[in-house]
Amino acid sequence: MKNEDLALDDLTAIADAIAEGRTTSVAATEACLARIAAWQPRTNAFLRVYREKALAQAKAMDAELSAGRRRGPLHGVPMAHKDMYYRKGEVSTGGSAIRRDWVAPVTATVLDKLDAAGVVELGFLNMAEFAAGPTGHNVHHGHCRNPWDQSRVTGGSSSGSGASVAARMVYGALGSDTGGSIRLPAAACGVVGMKATYGRVSRAGAVARSWSLDHVGPLTRTVRDNARMLSVIAGHDPDDSTTSDKPVPDYEALLDDGVAGLRIGLALPKDGLAPLDPQIGAAIQTAADALGRLGAKVSTVTLPDFTALYRAAEVMVKCEAAAMHRPWMEKTPELYANQVRTRMEAGFFIPATQYIDALRLRAHFVTEFLSTAMDGVDAVLLPAIPFPLPTIEETDTETKGGPAVLKMVAGFTGLTRPFNTLGIPALSVPCGFDTNGAPIGLQLVGRPFDEAMLYRIGHAYQGATDFHTRVPQ
Amino acid sequence: MDEKTKTAAGIAAGLQGLKYDEKRLAELAAEVEILNEAVRKAAAQRLTFDDDPAAFASIMAKESRS
Repeated sequence: MKNEDLALDDLTAIADAIAEGRTTSVAATEACLARIAAWQPRTNAFLRVYREKALAQAKAMDAELSAGRRRGPLHGVPMAHKDMYYRKGEVSTGGSAIRRDWVAPVTATVLDKLDAAGVVELGFLNMAEFAAGPTGHNVHHGHCRNPWDQSRVTGGSSSGSGASVAARMVYGALGSDTGGSIRLPAAACGVVGMKATYGRVSRAGAVARSWSLDHVGPLTRTVRDNARMLSVIAGHDPDDSTTSDKPVPDYEALLDDGVAGLRIGLALPKDGLAPLDPQIGAAIQTAADALGRLGAKVSTVTLPDFTALYRAAEVMVKCEAAAMHRPWMEKTPELYANQVRTRMEAGFFIPATQYIDALRLRAHFVTEFLSTAMDGVDAVLLPAIPFPLPTIEETDTETKGGPAVLKMVAGFTGLTRPFNTLGIPALSVPCGFDTNGAPIGLQLVGRPFDEAMLYRIGHAYQGATDFHTRVPQ
Repeated sequence: MDEKTKTAAGIAAGLQGLKYDEKRLAELAAEVEILNEAVRKAAAQRLTFDDDPAAFASIMAKESRS
């Protein structure tokens, strides 16, 4: 172990230390609980902390290890998850007021998999109401605050996941991503977030935002951590018919192949839905240069016009969300934040033919993207968030309406939502800090089911940079 | 009330059983118009009679086997 404070070690380091008897799950859990005590008041990342339960779980994990049983590669590692993963018999709010006291009837498949791998559960994390919102605002449970600057947004909707991993309160966390909700908080909080291929990770037992576009995935401090966590949660699930039966690679074993000879397409979009701020563009260019020095062949690629693809995604989200939320929208509309409810209402007015055409267009969009922007490259490199991180106040759509605020908030997902529509993997990796001291994230996009390639590039990049080792003070 | 807002009012009250004031109906009509136009234009450029919504899942399944 590298650090006196165990909470500062990364996930794989602590997991390996526990496995080798150099520390215990109880010690790691106590270290995380101490970080939570210090950072929860500053970030509001947790909705519930299970102190006693976590310590009991940790003791049980240590006892199992002493008896010669190691459940898996995450044995004894403390984590917490976005409060939208059901655990049977426990409250699961979905970040909402409507489900403030709702008790889940089943356990999410991903939690079952983490349980089987030996993860200790510290609690559940703040999130945007019903996973609807890219900033981290939550009027019901309090806004989540960025550990790097508590006046600034965390990104969303997996706000608590990003903040808790960044502040070293947990070693890893589950998020979910319908339009960027893993990658945005990862970028904003300076951590790693993977939205894997649609169908790579089960959605069963997770609150849906849009069945067609939802992706479950991990947020961690390093790419290696992320690879280990995805290896555990990925795979076919009979309870989610959209999951693939493709075998899950040992992502961690494929990390160290380096990037020499790999072809990376650099995309710095100048216009479109999300104009790129020059300092963000400069950070991505610097990252591309670093990969070039490591031996990658970096070339410029042009992204297609994402406008139609983005609008098609909006049609899918609004129609599906309106359908699932209709009973509550009719009976208790006052229990929604205005901006959450109003964003779904258009779904009641979009003709079914438009929704079906949006679904029919997906195959064309993905075929076009793979044969143009990704033609001849192994991955595309682009920003995750195209502008420096704004403050919570600047982006508070509940108290500040107006086109400028709404446009800024919508701009968060300009470079992330398209990859939900395409269903292809996308990884966010920290690549610098803006002039306000807030993190900047790069995004790597790959071919379907080629998460290993993105991890390989991200890991090589982290081997040459130290952004992921910096800790908010 | 303009024609698009009237249409939205008709959908809300007549087809969906929902109540909105005129201002909100006008906003929704404008929002839906942007989304519809974008999808309609993209569909006109790309879709044929034989395009199936499940084609996306088929592409993903093929990619998973490659």
